[in-house]
Amino acid sequence: MAFDKMELKDIEVWDGNHAAAQAMRQAQIDVVAAYPITPSTPIVEGYAKFKADNYVEGEFVMVESEHAAMSGCVGAAAAGGRVATATSSQGLALMAEVLYQASGMRLPIVLNLVNRALAAPLNVNGDHSDMYMVRDSGWIQFDAFSPQEAYDLNLIAFRVSEDHDVRIPAIINQDGFITSHTAQGVHTLSDDVAYNFVGEYKPMNDMLDFENPVTHGVQTEEDWHFEHKARQHNDMMTIVPGKIEEVFADFEKLTGRKYNKVECYDMNDADVAVVCMGTSVETAREVATEMRAKGIKAGVVGIRVFRPFPFFEIAEAIKDIKAVAVLDRCAPGGAAGTLFNEISGSLYNTDLKIALSGYIYGLGGRDLTKAHLVDLFNELQANADAGKVLTQQQQFIGVRGPKLAYL
Amino acid sequence: MSEMKKIKNLKEFSTSADRFEGANLLCPGCAHSIIVREVLNATNDDLVLASSTGCLEVCTAVYPYTSWDASWIHIGFENSSTAVAGAEAMYNALKTKGRLKQPDRTPKFVAFGGDGSSYDIGFQWISGCMERNHNMMYIVLDNEVYANTGGQRSSSTPIGASATTSPAGTISYGEQKNKKDMLGIMGAHNIPYAAQVSPNKWKDMVKKIQKGFATEGAVFINAVSPCTTEWKFDPKDTMHLADLSTDSLVFPLYEIIEGHELNITYRPKNIVPVEEYLAAQGRFKHLFKDQYKHVISEWQTRVDENWEYLQRREAARV
Amino acid sequence: MAKQGWDEFEIGSLLRSFDGKIDKCPAHTPQRDRSYSENNSHVASVADWRLIKPVYNKDYCIDCQFCWVYCPDVSIISRDKKMIGIDMDHCKGCGICVEVCPTNPKSLLMFPEQADEETELASWPTKDEEEE
Repeated sequence: MAFDKMELKDIEVWDGNHAAAQAMRQAQIDVVAAYPITPSTPIVEGYAKFKADNYVEGEFVMVESEHAAMSGCVGAAAAGGRVATATSSQGLALMAEVLYQASGMRLPIVLNLVNRALAAPLNVNGDHSDMYMVRDSGWIQFDAFSPQEAYDLNLIAFRVSEDHDVRIPAIINQDGFITSHTAQGVHTLSDDVAYNFVGEYKPMNDMLDFENPVTHGVQTEEDWHFEHKARQHNDMMTIVPGKIEEVFADFEKLTGRKYNKVECYDMNDADVAVVCMGTSVETAREVATEMRAKGIKAGVVGIRVFRPFPFFEIAEAIKDIKAVAVLDRCAPGGAAGTLFNEISGSLYNTDLKIALSGYIYGLGGRDLTKAHLVDLFNELQANADAGKVLTQQQQFIGVRGPKLAYL
Repeated sequence: MSEMKKIKNLKEFSTSADRFEGANLLCPGCAHSIIVREVLNATNDDLVLASSTGCLEVCTAVYPYTSWDASWIHIGFENSSTAVAGAEAMYNALKTKGRLKQPDRTPKFVAFGGDGSSYDIGFQWISGCMERNHNMMYIVLDNEVYANTGGQRSSSTPIGASATTSPAGTISYGEQKNKKDMLGIMGAHNIPYAAQVSPNKWKDMVKKIQKGFATEGAVFINAVSPCTTEWKFDPKDTMHLADLSTDSLVFPLYEIIEGHELNITYRPKNIVPVEEYLAAQGRFKHLFKDQYKHVISEWQTRVDENWEYLQRREAARV
Repeated sequence: MAKQGWDEFEIGSLLRSFDGKIDKCPAHTPQRDRSYSENNSHVASVADWRLIKPVYNKDYCIDCQFCWVYCPDVSIISRDKKMIGIDMDHCKGCGICVEVCPTNPKSLLMFPEQADEETELASWPTKDEEEE
């Protein structure tokens, strides 16, 4: 039975979950193996409903855990076809083992990760603990700041991940609830246009090619393992960045919507800037504009591609900035924030002397308010004027009780 | 549909072209590869295979060598079942969409795991695959111990076996818990076909595997795999141990169809005392000390009761 | 292969069973007619694992194929339902073939790895000796 196309309005009112589910439908995925978890559940439910209503021709396998979801995805991807799933938080923690297997076996899989805090204490709301937990898993990681971007980046991710020079799985992050459950206007592509952009799946090393039997998932010890891991890193560092740029450019040609690995807002003449991810980027942009009315030349840098980390683009974006705050939405667990560390690493061997400070915020869905950001920009201006960080290097924003600051 | 391979007798079976290769790294005398050969040679169809982490996996795909002549995948310790289920789902999707490269080929999907990966860590994954009734076969290579990691107890290790994490000692006869009834549990999933097999009874094995391959839906096979290293017997005696397993009824051979129809497929002409089965293995040596001898007679009682139960269930069809 | 650099391997540490494409399922191609890749363990040898080795005496063999079916190492070479010999690259010397051999005297016996096959065949035990 042929599947049905869906008629979409040019602009639909979708939340981030529905936007992701729609993009998955339009990509004509061959196998989705999934397990529900808040706040990504509506992606799985939405896809199930598409299947029930004959909008999906591929297989939909509701498994018994997230680990099994990713295991099924790996088996399906190795068999040779388009594969995707969705999860959050504890679910990602459970499937983490298999994420490393997927990237190590160079299997293209798209994972919608609706960001949520990690227990304990149990929490269903958004922060970036899950995103950070798998930062070294060898997956490409995109970050969507809005439902529109969740939709667009899904289509982009298949193209990048499945390219035969790449063959590296990709995560699309979006903030739990704030993006995933907040409906906004989303510019859509028709089913045909979207599918043509993603393109037909081109199999490679597929187990179902009986003329070329392959062995996936071998054991390599000290005599071979290093070479294979080196190849993985090399391809992330040298092939993936260019491929992402190429697909971003194609997407802009098609839709007029331009994506960059590092999204700069009012950075050209800025003195101070905030670097952050997720929905905070949009809040920070609004406050930055307001700060300019108060005489503070503020800018915002949003990290669009978290892995491979855009070291050079970051350094380029903030090279003329006097004071920069890096915002990490994850408990640092006895270290500086992850994003803070990455950006410090990007700058350390340059001649740049930027007053760099780090802020921990928004854990477990705690709001980052405009008032928080006004205070933060003022603190940055003071750092810029002094030419150094006047506060401690790491501060917590929005937590009750005595002020927390370290380093 | 594919035709079932004709295997009337052993001579005919011996014309099979093996798809499992030598110079793998399994121990001399390992029953795993005997079972794998009997399974793979039971069909001439293409195969999509998976192995969970364990002896079979670490000995047959150590870079830069593979011992598999069919597509094969290993992911982790717990998920060969789901890996194959995912591949089967992809096959169905590509079939629907008309994108199979060789649409006339009818592959069989088979996952292997040891008892550690099946009875213990991968239990949930297998249960999920059986419940969803994927068109696949899951085979346990049951050597009743974590052999790959050096002999730790699993929930398949029987009472009285000395394993490294349930060692026999001055006050302990070793493993204290009885072996999990995996076939009963899998049968209770009401899957089309579940069976226990042993490599010494190659004809029974081939018949069951072929029956499994001809079945639409999930098939579960528990294969007893005498382990020269951990059961502690001479490598040349592997088939002797398999004979003792089946003929003492410690490993009765039977099948469960659709969860209710139980058929005993092998009734030994001369039932061997359990004591003889135990005496042939170093892991039970301590049971022959006076203080632990009660374990042997209790075991015999348990085997007798189980045999009685199986026969009643066979007759009752419940 | 041991000297190859990280950029010279297939991605994903993938291994291929055969050299190039195969036009039919290998179940229909005897091992001797296959084109194995350099990564197939078929091309490797575990002969150095052996301390003892099986010697085959075809004079007593009845081609029952017990040794073929129970050999863990695919080392009994059978052709057209006849036992041909032993693949000494893949035999690990476990001795199962000798144990399952039903003839009297046995058609397979284990000897030290260094033993001379011709000598052993010449002094093969007789039925009577076997029964002692």
